[in-house]
Amino acid sequence: MLDRVISRDDLHALIDGLALQRRLIGPVVRKAPECRPPWRYFYQPVDRAEQLDLSFSYCVYSPKPFLFPPQETLFQFERVDGGFTARPQLADRPTALVGVHPCDLNAIQLLDHVFSAAPADRHYRARRDNTFIVGVDCARPCTDGVFCADLDSHEAHGGFDVMLYPLDGDAESAGTTPGRYGVVFGSRAGGEWVRYGRRGEVPTAADERTFDRYQRQKRTAFPHALKTPADELPQLLERSYDSLLWEATARRCYSCGSCNLVCPTCYCFDIKDQTTLGGDGGQRRRQWDGCQLRGFAQVAGGHNFRSRPAARLRHRIYRKAKWIRERTGLRGCVGCARCDRACTARINTVEIYNQLTEEV
Amino acid sequence: MKPKVAIFSLTGCEGCSLAILELEDRLLDILDAVEVVNFREGMTERTWDIDIGFVDGAVSTPQDETEVRHIREHCTTLVAIGACACLGGLNTLKNHQPEEDYRRYVYGDRAEWFPTITARPISSVVKVDYELPGCPMIKEEFLRFVTHALAGRTFTLPDHAVCVECKKRGNLCLYEKGEICLGPMTRAGCDAICPTYGSKCEACRGILNEDVLKAAGINLREQYNVELDDVLADLQLFGAYQAKALP
Repeated sequence: MLDRVISRDDLHALIDGLALQRRLIGPVVRKAPECRPPWRYFYQPVDRAEQLDLSFSYCVYSPKPFLFPPQETLFQFERVDGGFTARPQLADRPTALVGVHPCDLNAIQLLDHVFSAAPADRHYRARRDNTFIVGVDCARPCTDGVFCADLDSHEAHGGFDVMLYPLDGDAESAGTTPGRYGVVFGSRAGGEWVRYGRRGEVPTAADERTFDRYQRQKRTAFPHALKTPADELPQLLERSYDSLLWEATARRCYSCGSCNLVCPTCYCFDIKDQTTLGGDGGQRRRQWDGCQLRGFAQVAGGHNFRSRPAARLRHRIYRKAKWIRERTGLRGCVGCARCDRACTARINTVEIYNQLTEEV
Repeated sequence: MKPKVAIFSLTGCEGCSLAILELEDRLLDILDAVEVVNFREGMTERTWDIDIGFVDGAVSTPQDETEVRHIREHCTTLVAIGACACLGGLNTLKNHQPEEDYRRYVYGDRAEWFPTITARPISSVVKVDYELPGCPMIKEEFLRFVTHALAGRTFTLPDHAVCVECKKRGNLCLYEKGEICLGPMTRAGCDAICPTYGSKCEACRGILNEDVLKAAGINLREQYNVELDDVLADLQLFGAYQAKALP
């Protein structure tokens, strides 16, 4: 059921209104002449709606850095009369993320869950509570190699304030800008944004029929890639702990961590202190960490719980398809395939799951 | 008492010494915390009672070898700074050419006036306590080293690849553009400055470990259709890798 339908121009007017109160972040195209196709999309800050491309294919990086930045200062500390003071540093600048695909919305739901569990992460919550999210649906797969449909993360299941469905774009040709969007409210703030902005119309019966047709077409547009259904991946992995595949695949792994760093659901971090030259103060900083990096599971005294790349690869796959799912009930992987595209050794997760399926 | 610090140069461009002077707005803080007692590029006074000695440049002449032994004797802690001191640097390019050729190329008809030896990192001649690699040395890392030394904290180099910093900066991976960047094999700490400006990494901070070289050998042979010699030339540029073939 749609809450509204809205024309492209009216949507742009609403987004421009949002930009008056919030830092506006969304998909922007950048030229990449050496690539095929010769452009790539990135989330970046913009001033106006018309700078965004809401019919983008995929963004190279997810919007995660705007909620959980690669590095941030948690607090500043200073030595004072034998003791010390500490001042937390919270980033609560109002932000609007506009143009988030379902895969990334599903990932944001996991981040929300992880960082909100007691004790809640104040730094994440400060950003998240001040972030307004406008999702935009994909009528078809954004590129080859994605397996979002296998994980049912080609559909939004929440995590947005407003969700947009491109209703009269040409589903067959990429890059066509739709003239009209179906609108679904995900929060009170989302509903107020559209209603108080006095844009869009109440959907007619014909609009609802168009939306039904859109959803029917979408169901057939997404191929499945996994030979084991996502629900059964935990059992598949349970049986595959001692598979020879881990060693055979990881012999190529550089342990560069690229898969972790582009992943929209990876949330591991490390914390380090930076002191001033005189040692009378400094900052406590956190930065992204990654389970594929050699030092990730190394502890005091030098022991490394996962010193071999194969153990680290298996750990990542277990996290993504088994452990996070079992622990949170949410998707640990959203099938965006950013890890596969980023892998400098061309290690492919779909191939891993499918080879394991054939082994057992 | 402030620790006594000295900065020396062997064969190289002295760019790493210069990088210290380029810490312009931090120099007064540094001079508050340490006493510089010997620094050819920065001052005329010289003494040889040294707590921490920093050395840039490679050992590339018999004189370098004598000099670095002398420096080692007078420094409690010896720190190699820059690709030349840590890896041999660009100087090692001559190691892959016939001596006659490069001597004539560099010194012309006066080649016999200038003795030269195989270029090597200073750690192959004397014990080195710490290394701050890079071409040039990363001045922020130098500052971090000094901060750690003053506080008595253990200093370690990043133990991960350049890719980590590159991805944190949100760069488009050069592999997507069809280039063989050495980022996955190279020690981070440079904030991925070369890929950020569109140039592939050339491993000026050295190779992370043996494992990445093995992975590189497999990937470049099995996954990428590239001239191995070209990649080898890149790996050799700063002396990160000296062997004639990938494992």
